[in-house]
Amino acid sequence: MNLTHVYRYYVLGALLGLASIAIIFKMVNIQNSPYAQQLLTKSHQYDASIEMVYPERGNIYDRRGNLLAGNTQVYEVGIEVGDANTPEPDIGPIAAQLSAITGTDSGKMITNYLESKNHKLQYAVLVDFITGDQIKALQTAIDAEAKKPATKSHGAATVGIEALHWQSHLIRTYPESDVGFNYIGYYPFLSNNQLVKIDGQDVEVPAVGTYGIEEKYNDLLAGTPKLEAIPNNPLLVNDVPEVPPGASLILTVDIRLQSAMEKILDKALKDSGAISGSIVVEDPKTGEILAMANTPRLNLNQYWDIGNKFPNPIYFNRSVSVTYEPGSVFKVFTMAAALDAGAVKPGTIFNDTGIFEWGGGFIHNWDGGAWGKQTMTGCLEHSLNVCLAWVATQLGATRFYNYIQAFGIGHPTGIDLGSEANYPLRLPGEDLSDRVQNFVKWSDIDLATNAFGQGLAVTPIQMVMGVSAVANDGKMMAPHILKAMVNNGRQYPTVPQVVGMPISAETAHTETEMLAISLEKESSIAEVEGYRVAGKTGTAEIATPYGGYSDSLTNASFVGWGPVDDPQFLVYVWLEKPTASKWGSVVAAPVFAEAVKSIVVLMDIPPDSVRLQLKAKP
Amino acid sequence: MSYRIAQAYRQAPWRIQVQWIGLFALGLLLVALVAGFYLNITTRAAIAGHDLQNMLYQVQNEESDIAGLNTQLASITSASTMEKRAHDLGFIPIEAGQPKYLEVPGYVPLGMPNLAPPPDNGVVEAPLILPDYTQSLWDWLFRSFLPTQVKPGTMQP
Repeated sequence: MNLTHVYRYYVLGALLGLASIAIIFKMVNIQNSPYAQQLLTKSHQYDASIEMVYPERGNIYDRRGNLLAGNTQVYEVGIEVGDANTPEPDIGPIAAQLSAITGTDSGKMITNYLESKNHKLQYAVLVDFITGDQIKALQTAIDAEAKKPATKSHGAATVGIEALHWQSHLIRTYPESDVGFNYIGYYPFLSNNQLVKIDGQDVEVPAVGTYGIEEKYNDLLAGTPKLEAIPNNPLLVNDVPEVPPGASLILTVDIRLQSAMEKILDKALKDSGAISGSIVVEDPKTGEILAMANTPRLNLNQYWDIGNKFPNPIYFNRSVSVTYEPGSVFKVFTMAAALDAGAVKPGTIFNDTGIFEWGGGFIHNWDGGAWGKQTMTGCLEHSLNVCLAWVATQLGATRFYNYIQAFGIGHPTGIDLGSEANYPLRLPGEDLSDRVQNFVKWSDIDLATNAFGQGLAVTPIQMVMGVSAVANDGKMMAPHILKAMVNNGRQYPTVPQVVGMPISAETAHTETEMLAISLEKESSIAEVEGYRVAGKTGTAEIATPYGGYSDSLTNASFVGWGPVDDPQFLVYVWLEKPTASKWGSVVAAPVFAEAVKSIVVLMDIPPDSVRLQLKAKP
Repeated sequence: MSYRIAQAYRQAPWRIQVQWIGLFALGLLLVALVAGFYLNITTRAAIAGHDLQNMLYQVQNEESDIAGLNTQLASITSASTMEKRAHDLGFIPIEAGQPKYLEVPGYVPLGMPNLAPPPDNGVVEAPLILPDYTQSLWDWLFRSFLPTQVKPGTMQP
């Protein structure tokens, strides 16, 4: 090597070194430039696709685990819209073939396709809510098409049904159709994820449950939707979205009992000519609603019929959403209050002259007759308005209304169902005309009429809650329909709550006995062989819009519970405007008896003789 | 001996270059081995991840299917359907007073359905996938070979 030329290598090395330094400097410069940061940020949008993942809506079960509301997989079928790069689908024959399989109008599918094409969409949904069986049939048709020999089309290239795509999604399904519709409510899946303009942007809005449990517990059932970045990099598999399903709910109702009550109610309406009705069955010891039957009924799988069935939506669940004057069933509260306050005793004698003057008005009995000397049990037995009006006056307005409020009248019960109604109780000296339309102030005569359930309005569920105190040793239980909730893999039971103790246990037992005796003495058709029950009939006149009351139209009711020594059920019956007879004792009492006959079988309640015999055993 | 080696290197200095090249080649080989090993593991992890992703989607689909089948089963066994089937088979509804009640010692009436365990049963759920399958190479090295690393559950009060 010629040492004289060595310096050239050093120069070359130095130049290469400088070039390397320059390159490294530029690399570092580029990496740290603001543009690089922007580019990096922009690149993240290709790391993953952002999607809103909606959880599966939670199920609803009855107290025995029967499914009342669940989800079914259905399919949406669509096709890519043809353009310069995509072959044009032969939409006419495709729609015809699809129509033959799904039964959907082919014209509608073609319209859907053309609309998507006009909006320059890449994909057109032809038909939705296709069942799994129909998809199998479609797959078979596609397979058969594929086996056919290829035919050359003249002109532009086209594609057939093999180009169809389908994607599954869940819809809400109600296996029991219309049984228990009024407390279940519905989830309008057709309105799910509709695009709504918010601040000028299209936003997908999920549907929400409507009425009943679906409405009341919508947030729990729906779960929490998550905005998820679904990674394109399979190495980030841990990030696959796992959205826990919405909470499942176990209700207090027994679907077999519900079905039986609905059948009894249907028959009662047919027999009595009533325009509508309601039966509520509750466990008075816990406040659990065991059944709640109402008419008319709606098949929840076709919830869109609601407008036809319920032009006025408050009648969706008349047990909680409709108030009415209850009539003589209200005497249970009047007598309980008087007994508890010591104003009367079961043996107190009242001389019924058939007329009672109070507050400038006259009170008459249901039959207009005078019943002579009666004990308080006799007053309940014959449902004497004159006697009960007198009882209320013995108690005095202050104490009477204190007791009535303690029974929960004038306040919502707080039952966990949507749209609970309440009509405020008119009290001495109160003016609610600013809150209540056509409010009439309380006057002295109201004390007498309220005593037998006229001049005030309640919902059946308010009556059930109040009477539960008489049936349950004076303890008034909060009516509820949720028995347990299953969320995040854990089951959380609800705890029955005592909402008040308006009367003592002794008063409750005394009145229960009085009402049981009154049914026995009257040889009431509400009695059930083998089971001792307590109960009270009610016939309420209906106020007309022009003032005063109708002569012929009534609300017939019955409230009863049993077995008397250990009440396990409380039944409330309401028939609206019966025509066969206007009396609760004629049309509502047999409905109670029929209901009890079903209840004792379905709830495995042995006859009193058997039960007491077993109880007496050591 | 050491003199001979020194002399040999003096006579043929290229031996030093060969030594350096050999060392460099060895280093390169080691790096290539580690890179190959890492590439192999990464590829396998990617394939496994992809399979797992597919399986998770499959699980979701299966769960949807199960939900649909449960609903279908509930429809088939709904109160009205079962009643009709019983009626068609010649059964008649039992009336109050017809059942015969027997005392069965130890019989517990049907209670609330248990769809999930209660909230406070004290059971601590073990993770479904062991950390060995999710931790990085560095995590594994640190956890396995560094004595100062405190393993969960071994901390003393």
